Amino acid sequence: MGNGTRGFRAAPAGKHAVLIALGFLAVFPLYWMINTSFKPDTEVFSSSLLPRHWTFDNYRTAWNSVPMARMLTNSLAVALLQTGTQLFTSILAAFAFTRWTFKGSSLIYGLIGLTWLVPFQVIMIPNYVMISSFGWRDSLMGLVVPNIASAFAVLQLFNTFKSFPRALIEAARLDGASDWKVLWRTIFPNLRSAIASIGILLFITAWNDYFWPLLVTTKMEHSTIQKGLQMFMSSEMNLWGPLMAATTIASLPVLVIYLILQRQIIDSFVKGGLR
Amino acid sequence: MSLATKRGLAAGVLTLAMLTTVACGKTENNSASNAAGGSSAAEGSPSASAGASQTADSGASGEKIKLTFYSYNLATAGQKEGTQQLIDEFEKANPDIEIDGIPVASTDINAKVQADIAAGSPPDVAQLVFDGLDYAVNNFGAKPLEDIVPADELSKAFEGFSPNGLKLGQLNGKTYGLPFTFSTPVLFYNAKLFKDAGLDPETPPATWAEVKQDALRIAQKTGVSGVHIGGAQGNDWIIQALIGSNGGKVLSDDRKTIQFGSPEAIGAIQMWQDMIASGANDKLNDGDVIEAFAQGKVGMLLFTSALQSMFVSSAQAGGWELKAAAMPSFDGKPTTPVNSGSALFILSNDKAKQEAAWKFLNFVTSERGYTIITSKIGYLPLRPAIVDDPQYLKDYVEQNPLIKPNLEQLDRLQPWVSYPGPNWHQIETTLLDAVQKSILSTGDITPIMQDAQKQAQSLVQ
Repeated sequence: MGNGTRGFRAAPAGKHAVLIALGFLAVFPLYWMINTSFKPDTEVFSSSLLPRHWTFDNYRTAWNSVPMARMLTNSLAVALLQTGTQLFTSILAAFAFTRWTFKGSSLIYGLIGLTWLVPFQVIMIPNYVMISSFGWRDSLMGLVVPNIASAFAVLQLFNTFKSFPRALIEAARLDGASDWKVLWRTIFPNLRSAIASIGILLFITAWNDYFWPLLVTTKMEHSTIQKGLQMFMSSEMNLWGPLMAATTIASLPVLVIYLILQRQIIDSFVKGGLR
Repeated sequence: MSLATKRGLAAGVLTLAMLTTVACGKTENNSASNAAGGSSAAEGSPSASAGASQTADSGASGEKIKLTFYSYNLATAGQKEGTQQLIDEFEKANPDIEIDGIPVASTDINAKVQADIAAGSPPDVAQLVFDGLDYAVNNFGAKPLEDIVPADELSKAFEGFSPNGLKLGQLNGKTYGLPFTFSTPVLFYNAKLFKDAGLDPETPPATWAEVKQDALRIAQKTGVSGVHIGGAQGNDWIIQALIGSNGGKVLSDDRKTIQFGSPEAIGAIQMWQDMIASGANDKLNDGDVIEAFAQGKVGMLLFTSALQSMFVSSAQAGGWELKAAAMPSFDGKPTTPVNSGSALFILSNDKAKQEAAWKFLNFVTSERGYTIITSKIGYLPLRPAIVDDPQYLKDYVEQNPLIKPNLEQLDRLQPWVSYPGPNWHQIETTLLDAVQKSILSTGDITPIMQDAQKQAQSLVQ
């Protein structure tokens, strides 16, 4: 980094131009969503960059058409619980794979990897039949329990755990720490940012899930917010204003969590890129 | 390590394949046994009907019968209230029956019903789109009304029903679905653009040749799109309406032979292709055109009448006048408007629930029911007499004259044909793909349509 040659100085301008363009591409839809959410019906299809007449009607309609508060609470509960349990199970799995070499470990790892490739549609009916037989329809258990393990998280964390220096683990063991302590006192604090970034991805996936809540829940009051968004879309027309208002509300929690954990995410993406 | 991983992977693939097969086999068995259970219960094994009549008795002695009702109108913000009103009024009139309305989007409703059948708990009543009629009958175990309701009661309930309307939910001579919310294709047009182009908005085009002429004139004089024929995406009901209006069919009467490669069918699509090639019809997709039409930037639009209320408000906001005409014909041949939309199906296997469900279906398709459906949800009444009855829709129709061309079309209404077998959706998609390809091509479309027919035929089981 220190040897700042001339070539290195010319590059950032071009790089920044590209990054600014990409940044614009990423931010513009978000901006357009918020812009449309404040436009009255008559302006929804106009291309003006700001509403000529600002209105909160769309938010009012969106809020009153579906039990928004209930659904947001449900979404938050499901996403947090699901993320928490997925992280917990995958940390244990990743630790087991790194800490011990046991017979069949690569087979199990391969199997876990393969389940990641199975599309949800293939397993949704068997899952649903099972959930129904437990009487878990329309319940938090039904929404969360089938998703407490994530193959994606196991694979990601295994790679992260592998990079953790073995010598440190051995040293901790020599100091008399149990495996449980090694995991939570030695490894976990050092890999916190990587785990947090996987957590964010898991949270977003859980938050955005539509089909499973659609199957498991019946009433809007028991469902997550993604099912509520569908209320504003139909085969004949979309109510763009309320839809954009509802989508804005629905994306706020994810944005807030992203802002809180921003540092960790960027850290881990950078590390992931370097590896 | 690498060897071990490879071996591991191979073993993994094998195990996984086995697991999936087992899982699939299991679901199939499940649904099969369910279907079997369903038919035996319906046909009344002694113990089942005894149990059912007991439930009916307990219903009379004050215990409520609870019906689950899947509806996509409940899952649409603008239609939820009208649908809920139907439920509320029914419950008020029938205090012993409770309707548990469950909102499911129309695109997901079949998948959810399928999953529930696999799980052994189908909804008691479901609102399903007409193109899935065959599948609902043969795979969802929909119950024919003739098996539930005594013949004289049924014929009394159907008095005053449009005979064409009743056919929409029938298959093999039995009534499985009662038409609930449905619409027909109408030609919406922008009277302001007509005037700007020097055309008379009081005499809309009646044939496709006239449509082309007027559309080219609108495009030339005003610079906006002249006409758009909708329905090349999504579902095939408008395509079926066009093919039928040119004397063709998509499926033979014995429901065995796909016929959308016939000269009549090809002729109908050729008209569409020519409309685009000549520049009379734009090349935009339906969603974009609906928005453009709402902004007053399209001369004419053939699409579902369900869009009417949205266009009325956007015309008011945009300062132009909305008008509507019946679907144009192929040089005076009688048109065959095909319905879009949905019917209500009884899926419950329980005798008492079936009877309660019939009461509900009977109410929503009654004079009062269709009044709510038309005035509050925005679809069509299948009881023609209520349109002139001040107790029901007279005032509404006077205030909303745009619905008239739509009502006139009910006399010529043809059912939306559902394709046979489990591949029905694939067949519909095959036709849609072929039409999309045909109307945007420049050459002879015969090979495209005939290939599609051949491909679709191989999907018929």
